[in-house]
Amino acid sequence: MLRNVLCRFLIEPVFVQRNITYTPSVQAASSVFTSVRNFTDVKDETQQAFDTSLLEFLVCPLSKKPLRFEATTNELINDELGIAYAIIDGIPNMIPQEARLVQKDSNPPAQG
Amino acid sequence: MAASIRLLVRRVLRRSSAVVSSAAGGWRLSARCCAQLSCRSFSDEAAEKSTHFGFETVPEAEKAKKVYKVFENVAQKYDVMNDAMSLGIHRLWKDALLHAMHPQPGVRLLDVAGGTGDIAFRFLEYVAYQKERQSRRTANSAQTPSWQDISDNYLGNREGEDEGEEFGPRKSRVVVCDINKEMLKVGQQKAQRVGLADGVSWVVGDAEELPFDDNQFDIYTIAFGLRNVTHVELALQEAVRVLKPGGRFMCLEFSKVANPILARLYDAYSFQVIPVLGEVIAGDWKSYQYLVESIRKFPAQEELKELLEDAGFCCVRYHNLTGGVVSLHSGFKL
Repeated sequence: MLRNVLCRFLIEPVFVQRNITYTPSVQAASSVFTSVRNFTDVKDETQQAFDTSLLEFLVCPLSKKPLRFEATTNELINDELGIAYAIIDGIPNMIPQEARLVQKDSNPPAQG
Repeated sequence: MAASIRLLVRRVLRRSSAVVSSAAGGWRLSARCCAQLSCRSFSDEAAEKSTHFGFETVPEAEKAKKVYKVFENVAQKYDVMNDAMSLGIHRLWKDALLHAMHPQPGVRLLDVAGGTGDIAFRFLEYVAYQKERQSRRTANSAQTPSWQDISDNYLGNREGEDEGEEFGPRKSRVVVCDINKEMLKVGQQKAQRVGLADGVSWVVGDAEELPFDDNQFDIYTIAFGLRNVTHVELALQEAVRVLKPGGRFMCLEFSKVANPILARLYDAYSFQVIPVLGEVIAGDWKSYQYLVESIRKFPAQEELKELLEDAGFCCVRYHNLTGGVVSLHSGFKL
């Protein structure tokens, strides 16, 4: 078992290195098309990223009320409390302490 | 003689009055502070309340931060370390959890403290296998259809399709919730590598304050995560809240070994070998020291069962795996 684990541990960096050496050659070959493709790739990633079907049961952890998905800033907004939860890499961050205040005059998120 | 005694008495009285006045002053100050602070003014008193972080005693407010740091450090090497430390047995424990769960297609699972997604991926594979078995069974039975079946399919073609569609759109779904972004990132990458990205959702959330609506999930699992939560009772209450009536709570956690010989071996292995492995493989002795200490501090099987019953779960049972090294607790929300 340990041997397998150690082997995997040793092989993994080798694979990583292989990948690193591979990609520059690909980019050099298709340099004309990469700009357009990269654009679409990036777009696809962010689109696949946040799954809006989560909104069925995702609520604000503080008030337990439904949230509004703001596509422009990629945030989930609780209008009642005036706080916004960021979505990074398609993963919504629902920790109250890390939420952003939307309005300056609203109450601050609960401390603790 | 009398004079000296009187002096002594006066000194004692002065000291005691000084103590009383300072205490009174303290009370007045804290009362003012409480009035000024918002609802979570508890935080002052809570900060004085301490909890265990392994064998250390730390203020409750700090435990969450420390636990976060531990998992942030080990996230990349988490799976490798699990294999090394448990000699691969953790896979059997997680498989046992899935077999006890026996999920059927169309079920919604919430995996809390699910980090790198081990339970989530096993769940999806299990459910896919169940679906295949079901479709094979219906195919076999359809090979010699009775006249009843033929007439049903002829007339109620629509009905047949509806029945099929009940299992279609209600796809099995897993939501993995973890307080640590790094662990979820590793899980997301694993999902894409294995090809199971569809059907898993990743959410950063606190087990004590879940960002999910009431009565949403069929099954709630927490595998090797409950001991890292600062307030276990709050996490259990949240579990009761988000589970549907009839939903099942399943918890896999390190527990107490009954057999004294095995316990000695286990202790020796835990304290001598595991932190060393942590240093060699993940480069982090302290995190793994915390790991083995936190296992010792966590309540034993019966105590955890009582905690579950207090939170409101019914039919709470537990099953020891590997002689009590790990125990699987299960309860229902009825």
